[in-house]
Amino acid sequence: MQPILKVQALNKQYKTRDGLFRSRFFSALENVSFCLNKGETLAVIGETGSGKSTLGRILAGAEASDRGQILLQGQIIEDDGKRIVHSKELRLIFQDPMKSLNPSLTIEKILSEILELNTQLNEQQRRDKINETLLTVGLLAEHRNYYAHMFSGGQIQRVALARAIILDPLVLILDEALSSLDPSVRAQTVNLLLSLQRKIGLSYVLITNHLSLVRHMSDSLLILDQGKAIEYGKTSELFSCAQSKQGQRLLSC
Amino acid sequence: MHLLDIRNLTIELNTGDHVIRAVDKVNLSLKEGEVHALVGESGSGKSLIAKALMGVLNERWQVTADRIHWQGVDLMRLPPEKRRKLIGKEIAMIYQEPSSCLDPTAKIFEQIAESIPEQGLSGYFWQRKKQRKQRATALLHKVGIKRHTKVLDSYPHELSEGVCQKVMIAMAIARSPKLLIADEPTTALESTTRAQIFRLLKSLNQLKSMSILMISHELAELNDWTHGLHVLYCGQMVEAGPSKKVFGSPKHPYTQALIKSSPEHNVALEHKSELYALKGTIPTLQHLPIGCRLGPRCPQAQKDCVATPQANDFHGHTVACHFPLSQK
Amino acid sequence: MAKFKLFNEDANKSPLKHLWRHFKSNHSALVGLWVFLLLAILAISAPLIAPYGVNEQNAQALILPPSWDDAGQVEFILGTDGLGRDLLSRLMNGATSTFGLAILAALLTTAIGVVLGVFAGLTRGVKSSVLNHLLDITLAIPSLLLAIVIVAILGPGLMNTVWAIIFALLPQYIHSVRNLVAQELSKDYIVAQRLDGANKWQILKTGILPNIYEHIVVIFTMSLSTAVLDIAALGFLQLGAQAPTAEWGAILAENLSLIYLAPWTVALPGILLFIAILSTNLVGDGLRHALQKRRAS
Repeated sequence: MQPILKVQALNKQYKTRDGLFRSRFFSALENVSFCLNKGETLAVIGETGSGKSTLGRILAGAEASDRGQILLQGQIIEDDGKRIVHSKELRLIFQDPMKSLNPSLTIEKILSEILELNTQLNEQQRRDKINETLLTVGLLAEHRNYYAHMFSGGQIQRVALARAIILDPLVLILDEALSSLDPSVRAQTVNLLLSLQRKIGLSYVLITNHLSLVRHMSDSLLILDQGKAIEYGKTSELFSCAQSKQGQRLLSC
Repeated sequence: MHLLDIRNLTIELNTGDHVIRAVDKVNLSLKEGEVHALVGESGSGKSLIAKALMGVLNERWQVTADRIHWQGVDLMRLPPEKRRKLIGKEIAMIYQEPSSCLDPTAKIFEQIAESIPEQGLSGYFWQRKKQRKQRATALLHKVGIKRHTKVLDSYPHELSEGVCQKVMIAMAIARSPKLLIADEPTTALESTTRAQIFRLLKSLNQLKSMSILMISHELAELNDWTHGLHVLYCGQMVEAGPSKKVFGSPKHPYTQALIKSSPEHNVALEHKSELYALKGTIPTLQHLPIGCRLGPRCPQAQKDCVATPQANDFHGHTVACHFPLSQK
Repeated sequence: MAKFKLFNEDANKSPLKHLWRHFKSNHSALVGLWVFLLLAILAISAPLIAPYGVNEQNAQALILPPSWDDAGQVEFILGTDGLGRDLLSRLMNGATSTFGLAILAALLTTAIGVVLGVFAGLTRGVKSSVLNHLLDITLAIPSLLLAIVIVAILGPGLMNTVWAIIFALLPQYIHSVRNLVAQELSKDYIVAQRLDGANKWQILKTGILPNIYEHIVVIFTMSLSTAVLDIAALGFLQLGAQAPTAEWGAILAENLSLIYLAPWTVALPGILLFIAILSTNLVGDGLRHALQKRRAS
């Protein structure tokens, strides 16, 4: 089977000012590659500065890589830092759902703009699609007239999810989206994500620090350390026998 | 004797239109050398309790209590000036985001030196700087920082969050307080540094018999090293008691849900299977239900739940529920 | 959990309604708003409702005190000036030239300022820094001084004053708008919108503007009060509106020689100026407080 998302030798360097004229290069990602199949979850773990957030931002298109390819369903979407196709099949969920929703627009306006930009649906179809998506994530159709500040912590997470899946993406990138949640909200969100995966076969790239969630949700695991992929394999295998010292240390606690 | 003994602590917010009871009659007591944890989700008022104890809430909040005893002294009856002195000497607090609690324009040494008490230093003022340096170095060693010269000479932004949190702890223990309040000290940290901080706190408790009040929303990472657990939901204390009892046989539906919702504690849980979660979301402060505040979400709720349940005591394990779960 | 909110109406309000609710609770701001609206209506309709013409002289009624004085006449409610012109009519028409033109100036400044400010906020690199550094230089000069310099170049006259004030207010305006836009641009939801495939114009329209227009209104009220003061000051210095024009500052200057003989001719335009600026500032302050409260709640 062809993998849904394939990343080949991704590189990213940042320039840091060092004095007035000198500048240093610091490598955030070095030759990172992985594949992700349909309906599977890849977990990315690593310490601060390991480049896992950079990876998420590059995949979502918020930043450009320096070298390497990203292939979606066998089609190159980013080649050596040039985004060839603007991809609506790869969607990012932010760390703080409240901050990722415009506070002065209603949910309907936010969602409808996404549809306007990316699809050819007319107004009625857009309205139907919004209703349908809100129901999928466990909200009511009436919620579309709400503003972001009116939702509670658990609901806002659902809205952020609705925002991501309204374009029927293939891959969702969750950048620490589960770490800062309250336990009961997190359990609800995890259940929702898992049921979506079962129903519509979404794939996830889960960037997190929460090991028990990694163990519970992910199929494969990528461990980054200072921009290098030090471990990559099946989650269950890696948890039982990680090769590198760094990997063992990360997985043991 | 109890180190800290709080009875019926109520904290109310005056919004102008009406009064919101954010914390409702909470009891809490702590013996010397014990580690207790306040567990609850956002909006449960756990940080409010700590702030009320420290006396740092602003005047919009009204704090009333039958008693807040600190080693037999009632803090509520002390004049504010005296109270502040007492608390400043004996209680220390660390916060969630260490890097934002440190002064970004001062070096770590200056900040630690500031928290070292004058009384402990001897000699003339020109001799004191050296003593401060030694004390600061010793403090950093205590919290497990080995590269002390480098850390003392750097600014907060040059250090990682984990090291910043250790520096915060070093500053907190500079006056050798009797109680350390840790307000979610590890939420901003990575899992490896998180484990380090927990080990550090544990050793501080064991070696110096310092009492610790942990505030956290993760029940799972606390149970094996705390003596007592207090579970809060929307400002009501739902369950309190020795950690082993609370964790091993929860009697309140909310505690049970908290334990069951985390995958750590269900080893038998199948991969990618559904996690246990209560329906609905945490109500906001403006829309608290009457009676038992868990009522609308509780799977066991019955008609009686519209009345606030009294705390029932089962051998030091108190549960505020009309229908406590009986296991085994 | 919509059920929790169904019965609570205030929760369903848009941010704008929230703002209005906070604004309403501030009584002085509300009074300010009413006075402001009255003055605005007066500025539009003054020539129609004024009892006498602006420059209509009544030779038999020179320096009449206001009607409540024993020597006053009821035909001239606020009395007359040294040339026998009805003070009430002149003051009403003054609202048009002082307050009305100030609003016009502030509106034009807003239009130009928002366009340039947004441009400055959205661009990066050399273009942006050239614009900013130029503006920073002009920011160092007080707006009234700048206006005087510009009038000195353009020559005195009411319309020239308006242009001078627009140019004098612009640097501050652009600076504030630029800061607002730059602040918005760093927000997560703008990044999210960019990832949705929105171009710059769409980000501006639906992402940035709805979040900053209230702040722009606050800046507008601040520049309006400066504009009123500057127009009057230039009129008083005889650099702005010239003698027969009914403009509050000019009326003040004209009647200064009569201050002992007919104090009302000086006091009344002064009081009006005071009220106009006070009401504008009250509205602006009220709005700013309401915005802060909304952010806090």
